[in-house]
Amino acid sequence: MAVRRLTVKNIISRVRQTFPEAPENYLYNLINDALLEAGLYRTKVEYAKATTVADQMWYDISDTGSSVDINKVFRVDFKDSAGDYIKLPRLIDNEILKMDIT
Amino acid sequence: MASNHNHPEGDMAWFIVGDKLAIITTKGTDSSSVHSKAGDWKAIDEAVTDGVLIHYYAEPNTVDALTDYPDIDNAMHASIVDYVKAKLYIDKAGTSGDPNISATAMNLSMVHEKQWKDSLIKFGTRRRDKIGGLRAVRTFDLR
Repeated sequence: MAVRRLTVKNIISRVRQTFPEAPENYLYNLINDALLEAGLYRTKVEYAKATTVADQMWYDISDTGSSVDINKVFRVDFKDSAGDYIKLPRLIDNEILKMDIT
Repeated sequence: MASNHNHPEGDMAWFIVGDKLAIITTKGTDSSSVHSKAGDWKAIDEAVTDGVLIHYYAEPNTVDALTDYPDIDNAMHASIVDYVKAKLYIDKAGTSGDPNISATAMNLSMVHEKQWKDSLIKFGTRRRDKIGGLRAVRTFDLR
């Protein structure tokens, strides 16, 4: 059973029904803007692994500093001694006594 | 390296400040120092290769070829047309010297903007949801 999907070409051809002169590069930019905005509404779920460093508290999850584009983290697991990933609780009160800066 | 945490759910936690993820543990020693004693939150105490698995909402990949498919649910592909048209109509309203054309373009822009917002926000959950809807029908118990 075929799935109905639109390619960029399909989208551009629909737009050009009313804007035949619209430059292709500009349309690419607008489509990517639309995808960026759609990403704010939890459209795509991903997973990533990170390696911990002893005595390092902070791990960079910014778009530029990490290799992944994260909008919102909703769960973190840690590998236990048996090699299984176990869900960690999220600490709501993050004003902890010792705050590492590395 | 492998992990030495038998039950990380009991002595580890995470939180986020800005763009930084903090991985912390209460595992420690019997030292009287608050910096190392068991029970106090402190940085993760060991290096574990691929030790952290992060689940997150991601940004869709960008498109750069005519044959690309937008990296969102196919139920929302047609809505991208509305977003693009809304922006193009705003451009047209701003560049046209004729006030009538500008007003019409502005109205059409708002129509497409509303369709995009409805698709994304008002009906977005329904479009993206893979588990929604009726799962089972239970009849009344007539005993």
